Amino acid sequence: GAWLGSAAPPHERPGARRGAEMKKLYGNDAAKIQAMEAALQLNFDRNCDRKQPKYWPVIPLRL
Amino acid sequence: SISACNEPGTDAGSLQTEQHARSMMRERFLRCLLSMANKQIQFDMYERVKVNATFGASDIDVLNFQVSDLQTPIGVQSEALIRCQDVISYSFDM
Amino acid sequence: MNTTSAWRQRTPRDWERYVNKQVHVTAHGQQQHRGWLHTVDPVTASVVLVRLGDAAGGCSVSVVMGHAVEQVEVVGEADEETAMRLSSLFRPKEREARAGGGGGE
Repeated sequence: GAWLGSAAPPHERPGARRGAEMKKLYGNDAAKIQAMEAALQLNFDRNCDRKQPKYWPVIPLRL
Repeated sequence: SISACNEPGTDAGSLQTEQHARSMMRERFLRCLLSMANKQIQFDMYERVKVNATFGASDIDVLNFQVSDLQTPIGVQSEALIRCQDVISYSFDM
Repeated sequence: MNTTSAWRQRTPRDWERYVNKQVHVTAHGQQQHRGWLHTVDPVTASVVLVRLGDAAGGCSVSVVMGHAVEQVEVVGEADEETAMRLSSLFRPKEREARAGGGGGE
């Protein structure tokens, strides 16, 4: 790969980028869809923090 | 990832129609996922594996299902993550 | 041609044409699923199928993962009442007003 020196890529805010992408996909409903997704993801993250589930099966059935 | 819609000749009106179709279907799907919390779900997986579990939540990209009381062929795992890639279908009663 | 990748590569407007239709879905391993198509997730192409019970309520739901869908065949159209039942299926009754808030119309 080409080493481009010390110039790091400009910092991009992932939230802003996701917002723009959502707007493109869902138009006027973007905020509503994004809020529902955030609620679902929050449930998932909270449950995983609290319950510490382990993958089953340990090895994926389909690689 | 999500398929882009970059057909030539896509005007603002048809973009809006496409966005509307996408948001209607996504909202229905997300509400379905939300309604599954605490329900008994049967998962049909690859390699003819069938398991039952109590649904917890899914991450939004639907890569993992977080479940409880997973009845595996060799016993119950109280807390588990199922990889969506391992699943063919799942079903439940409302 | 109805291969798995073909289904996943459809556009949202293609998928929308199947909403509220009675369908047969063939999944991996020739698994057959039938029911009313409630929705297709535009992110994963997963298909939500509903088999409606009596008018009192109960119904059973099957979701076929988008990556496992091999074929979708339309076998019937919903009448108005069926379409209404399908669209109200997963709607929370009491929180509806609040959940819909936040969008400036």
